Amino acid sequence: MASRDRVRFNVGGQLFETTSTTLANAGRESMLGALLDESWNPGQPEYFIDRNPACFSTLLDLLRTGALHIPSNVPEKLLYREALYYGLLDHVRGAKWGPFDGNTLRLADSVPGRAPGDGTAIRGAPDGGCCVAHGSVVHVYNWMLEERRPISLDYQQVNDVGYIDANSIVITARERLGKGDGGMAVFSAATGELRHRFRVEHGRQPKSFTAGALSLAGLDDHRIFSSCKGRLNEYGIGVWDHNTGQQVDFFYEHPGCSLGDADKLQWLPSKNCLMVATLFPRTDNCFIGLLDLRDKSIPWCWSDAGITMNLEDKRVLHAIAMEDGHSICVINQYDDLGFIDLRAGNTNSAGTGVRWSSRSKLMNQKVPYEESCYPKLATHNGQLFSCMNDSISVFSGSEHVLTSTLRRSYGGSICDFSIGGDRLFALHNEENVFDVWDSPPCPII
Amino acid sequence: MNSQSQRRKNFKIEAFKHKVELDPKYAERTWKVLEHAIHEIYNNNASRLSFEELYRSAYNMVLHKYGDKLYSGLVATMTAHLNKIAKSVESAQGGLFLEKLNHKWADHNKALQMIRDILMYMDRSYVPTSHKTPVHELGLNLWSDHIIHSPNIQARLQDTLLDLVQRERTGDVINRGLMRNITKMLMDLGSSVYQDDFEKPFLDVSACFYSGESQQFIECCDCGSYLKKAERRLNEEMERVSHYLDAKTEVKITSVVEREMIANHMQRLVHMDNSGLVNMLIDDKYDDLSRMYSLFKRVPEGLSTIRDVMTSYLRERGRVLVTDTERLKDPVEFVQCLLNEKDKHDKIISTAFNNDKTFQNALNSSFEYFINLNNRSPEFISLYLDDKLRKGLKGASEEEVEVVLDKVMMLFRYLQEKDVFEKYYKQHLAKRLLSGKTVSDDAERSMIVKLKTECGYQFTSKLEGMFTDMKTSEDTMLDFYAKQSAELGDGPTLAVQILTTGSWPTQPTAACNLPPEILTVCEKFRTYYLGTHSGRRLTWQTNMGTADIKATFGKGHKHELNVSTYQMCVLMLFNSADGLTYREIEQATEVPALDLKRCLQSLACVKGKNVLRKEPMSKDISEEDVFYFNDKFTSKFVKVKIGTVVAQKESEPEKQETRQRVEEDRKPQIEAAIVRIMKSRRVLDHNSIVAEVTKQLQSRFLPNPVVIKKRIESLIEREFLERDKADRKLYRYLA
Repeated sequence: MASRDRVRFNVGGQLFETTSTTLANAGRESMLGALLDESWNPGQPEYFIDRNPACFSTLLDLLRTGALHIPSNVPEKLLYREALYYGLLDHVRGAKWGPFDGNTLRLADSVPGRAPGDGTAIRGAPDGGCCVAHGSVVHVYNWMLEERRPISLDYQQVNDVGYIDANSIVITARERLGKGDGGMAVFSAATGELRHRFRVEHGRQPKSFTAGALSLAGLDDHRIFSSCKGRLNEYGIGVWDHNTGQQVDFFYEHPGCSLGDADKLQWLPSKNCLMVATLFPRTDNCFIGLLDLRDKSIPWCWSDAGITMNLEDKRVLHAIAMEDGHSICVINQYDDLGFIDLRAGNTNSAGTGVRWSSRSKLMNQKVPYEESCYPKLATHNGQLFSCMNDSISVFSGSEHVLTSTLRRSYGGSICDFSIGGDRLFALHNEENVFDVWDSPPCPII
Repeated sequence: MNSQSQRRKNFKIEAFKHKVELDPKYAERTWKVLEHAIHEIYNNNASRLSFEELYRSAYNMVLHKYGDKLYSGLVATMTAHLNKIAKSVESAQGGLFLEKLNHKWADHNKALQMIRDILMYMDRSYVPTSHKTPVHELGLNLWSDHIIHSPNIQARLQDTLLDLVQRERTGDVINRGLMRNITKMLMDLGSSVYQDDFEKPFLDVSACFYSGESQQFIECCDCGSYLKKAERRLNEEMERVSHYLDAKTEVKITSVVEREMIANHMQRLVHMDNSGLVNMLIDDKYDDLSRMYSLFKRVPEGLSTIRDVMTSYLRERGRVLVTDTERLKDPVEFVQCLLNEKDKHDKIISTAFNNDKTFQNALNSSFEYFINLNNRSPEFISLYLDDKLRKGLKGASEEEVEVVLDKVMMLFRYLQEKDVFEKYYKQHLAKRLLSGKTVSDDAERSMIVKLKTECGYQFTSKLEGMFTDMKTSEDTMLDFYAKQSAELGDGPTLAVQILTTGSWPTQPTAACNLPPEILTVCEKFRTYYLGTHSGRRLTWQTNMGTADIKATFGKGHKHELNVSTYQMCVLMLFNSADGLTYREIEQATEVPALDLKRCLQSLACVKGKNVLRKEPMSKDISEEDVFYFNDKFTSKFVKVKIGTVVAQKESEPEKQETRQRVEEDRKPQIEAAIVRIMKSRRVLDHNSIVAEVTKQLQSRFLPNPVVIKKRIESLIEREFLERDKADRKLYRYLA
C-alpha cells in the first residue's frame, strides 16, 4: 500500500522520489497539485519535468519540512523563478522569514537606490515588499526586492505614501499651481498604473490641493485620511473611500491647530478618532489632537504653545498613538521618549502632561557636524521602535525597556523606517540605500 | 606592429544580441499543441495528453511574451466549442433540454478546470499584469454569453424553469435535483445572471399566479381556510427555496406571496362575514387566530389591522355590556361578566397572539374605555369585592383568593374615578367589619396591600385605621370585662366597637332611645372608657349596631333572634306591651322614620321571620299600623336572623349623595394640586395648569376642567393666585 503513495519524478534528468502526501502540501492551485489531480492521468510510473533539478530539490525539501534552505550554489532569483513555475512562490515567501519580533531581527538585504536627493519616506507592504519615495518618484519593490515600474503623480513632489493592500499604493503629492496636477491618487503596485485620483470638493467645485500625511482607517473600514492644503480655505483633513475614490467628509481647521500641515495622522479605532500631529520644525508650536469626525469636534488635544522655547529645550519631533489607545508616545531631539496620557483630562496646554522617560544616553554622543535626520517612531505588536541618526532602537514590555539596537555603518543616518509584512525597512539618508530586516523562521529545535 | 593594427581594424565586432531569437514558428507551433489539447479535453480525450508538456508549453509562451496570443487563442477556441455545445443543447427535444444543458455544464466545468491547470502560469503572471479576466471566470463568462444568452436558449431555458415551478405548484412531481443543478449553474455564473435570467421573471410569474389564486380562494373560502391555504403556499415557497433556489430568493418570493395573498386582501379577510376576525374572537378559534397573527405579522400594517378590528369590537361589546340595564341589576354578576370577558381575551392574546405587548395594550385601553362609560363601575367593583369577601371566598385557598383579588385589581386599574371606588370600598369594608361578616382577615389585608401598592399610602391609610380600630376595640372590651365583671352582674353583654372619627364612613345621626337595661351597661362603659382615655368624646352610632336577644313564643318555643340595634329597641318594647301603634313605637324609640319603617318591615312582613304581627296585613308600613307580638311565630331554627338591609346597590338618591360627597372631597385635592404646581412654576397659563393638574391627579380620578377652573377662581378670591396684569391668561402665584 505504501508504494501507491509514492511518486517518482525525473527533473532535468535527476530522479526524485517522494509521496503524494508531501506533494499535497503544494495545494491544488499549484503545478504539482494539478499534475497529480485525478482529472489528469495520475498513477504514472514516473513524471518527467523539464526543469532545474537543484531548485526542485530545494522546493521539494520545502514541501517536506516547511522550511526553506537555499544551497549556496543556487541563486536566489533562480529559485524564485522556479517557484513561480511550480506555483510555489507563496510557499517560499512564507518560509523565507518568520513572524516579526524586534528583538530577533537580522539584516536580510540592503538595496541601493539611484534617485538623487534625500529620501522622503519608505513603506513596507503587507506581503513584505516596499516602496521608497524620493522627490517626485516612488520606487516600488516586490517582496523579492525586485524593482517594479516606478510611480509618480505628474512628477510632483511626493509628501507621503502608503499601502492600501499589497497591490495598491496611495501617494500624496504637492499641487502645481494653475494645473490640476498633484494631490492624491491610488496606483497598482504591480504595474504602476493609476487607478483613481482623490478629489477635494468645496461647494461641489473641485479644487486643486496639496496632500500631506496619510492614514488608513483599517481592514473593514474603507476610509482614508489625508491632510490637505489649498490656496483658499481648503485647509484641513480630507476623508475618502479608498475603494471608490469618492470624498466622504472634510474636517476644516479649527483656529489654533494647523491640520493642513499635519506631520502625522493615525486612526485610533478604539476611540473612533483620528490623531493629528503637527510638529516642530514644520510649525513652531507642536499640536497633537484627536478629531472626532462624527460631530467635527476635537475631544482631546495637547499643545506646547505658550512656553518660551530656546533651541536646547526639548521639542516634540514625532508622535505615535500607542496600540492600546491609552497614550501617545513622543520623541524629542535628544532621542528621549515621552508619553502623554490620553485618558487624563480633556485638554493639556502649555506643554504640560508629557512624562519624559529620560534615557540621556545619546545626548553626549551626538556628533554636531554629521547631517542628522529627525527621529521617527513606530509600534508593532506591543513593541516600540524609534530611529535616531543611524540606528533603530527597539523597546519592549509595558515599561518600554530598550532591548535591541539595529545599526549598520553604511548609508548614514536613517531618515525614515517602516514595518510591514513582518519586515522592517530602514531608509538611509546617503546613497539612497535601504535595509531590510526580518526575523528568521523558527529554529529547528 | 603595423600589420597587427591592420588586423585589428579588420576585426568586426558584432552587436551584442540581447536574446536568442526563437524560431518564429515556435509560438504558432506551441499554440497548435495547446489548441489541440483544449479540443481533446472538450472531447473527453484528455488521457492521452501530457500535463507536464502542456504546462511547460503554456509557460514558455508566456515567458517569451506570447501571452496575448495564448490568451486570445484560448478565447477563440473556447468560444468555438461553446457554440458547438449551444447547437447540441438547442437540438435537445422537449424534456431532454434541461438534462442536456446540465450534462454539458458539468462537462464544461471539468474542461475549464483542466484548461486552467494547463494555463495556471498564465493566470498567475500574464493575467494580473495585463488586466485580463482569469481563466475560470473567463470560462463562466463565455458560457453565459454563448449558451445561456444564446437567442435560442435564453427564452427556452427561462420558460422551462418557470413551467417546472408552475407544474410543481399545481401538484406535479418534478426533478428537483436537475432543477437545483440548473439554478446552481445560474448562481455560479454570477448573481446578476441568476437574477436577470431566472429570479426576476420567477417573481413576476409568481406574483401573477398568486394574485389569481388568491382571488379565487377569497371568493369561495371562509377566512379560516383561506388563511390555511395561504400558510401552506408560504411554506411551500420556502421549501422550494431551500431545495433548489438561492437562499437570498427566500425573502423576495415570500414577500411576493405575502403581498398577493395577504396584504392585498387584509381588509376583506378580517371583515369576512361569519368567519372574519370578530367571529374567530367570539368562538375562541385559537388556531385560526394564531395563523392570522403569524401571517399578518409578515406584512406592513398587518398587525395593526388585526388590532384595530379587535379594539373596535372589544369597545362595542364592552359598551353594550356596561350599558345593559338588565345586567346592571346585579352588580356581582356585572363584574363577573367583565372579568370573564377579560379572561377570555387574555387567553386569546396569550395563545394566539404570541402575548404581543401591543395587543395587550389594545385590550387594556379598550377596557379602560368602556368601564368608565358607566359611572357606577367603581361602586359595582367594590360590591363585587364585598360579595367575595363576605361569602364568595369561603373555603377558597389562599392562592385562589389572590387570583380573584388580582383580577379585580386589574379592573380597578382601568377605573378613572379611583376616589369613588375608595368611598364605596370604605363603606362596604366598614359594614363588613362592624357586622363581623368578613370571611378572612388575611384576604382583607391582602386587598389593602394591593391597593396600597397601586395607589400609595394615602389611599389606604384610613382603611388601615379601620382595622386598627377593630383590634383596639377587642382589647378594650376584654379589659372592660376583666375590670368590671363584678359590677355588671347578669345584665346584657355589651360589645362596643370604638371607631375613630374620620376613619369611618359614619354620618352623624341622633342616637335612638336605648332600652334601660342596655343604657345602664352603656353608661358603665362610657365611664370606664373616658376614665382610661381622658379628653375623648363617645357618640353612640345606634344605626350600625346589632344585638342577639332571646325570645319565648307561644307553647314555650324559645328562639335566639339576631337583630339590629334598632330592631332590638323595638322588640324590647313588647316586653311590657302586647300591641303598639307605629306612632307609639316611634315615640318610644326615636328611631329615624325611614330606618324605623325598614326595620318594622323586616320584623313583620318577611315570611318565616315575622316575630311581629301587623294590622292591617300589608306589605308596606303606614303610620296608622298597629303591631302585636306574634305569639304563633315558629321556626325550625333556634337562631333566627332577622334580615337587615345589607350592603346593597345604592338607590338613586343615595348614589347622588355619594357622588356629591366625592365631588366635595375632590375640591381640596384639586386646589392642593394647583397650589403645588404654582408654587414651583410661579407663572403659568390656564391650559398648562389644567394639563398638569390632570396629570398629577389621574391616578385617583380625572378632574373636570370646569371644576379646575372654578377652583382656580376660588384660589384667586382667597389670594393664593392672581391674574397677570398684562396677559389675562397667565396666573401668578402669590407667596
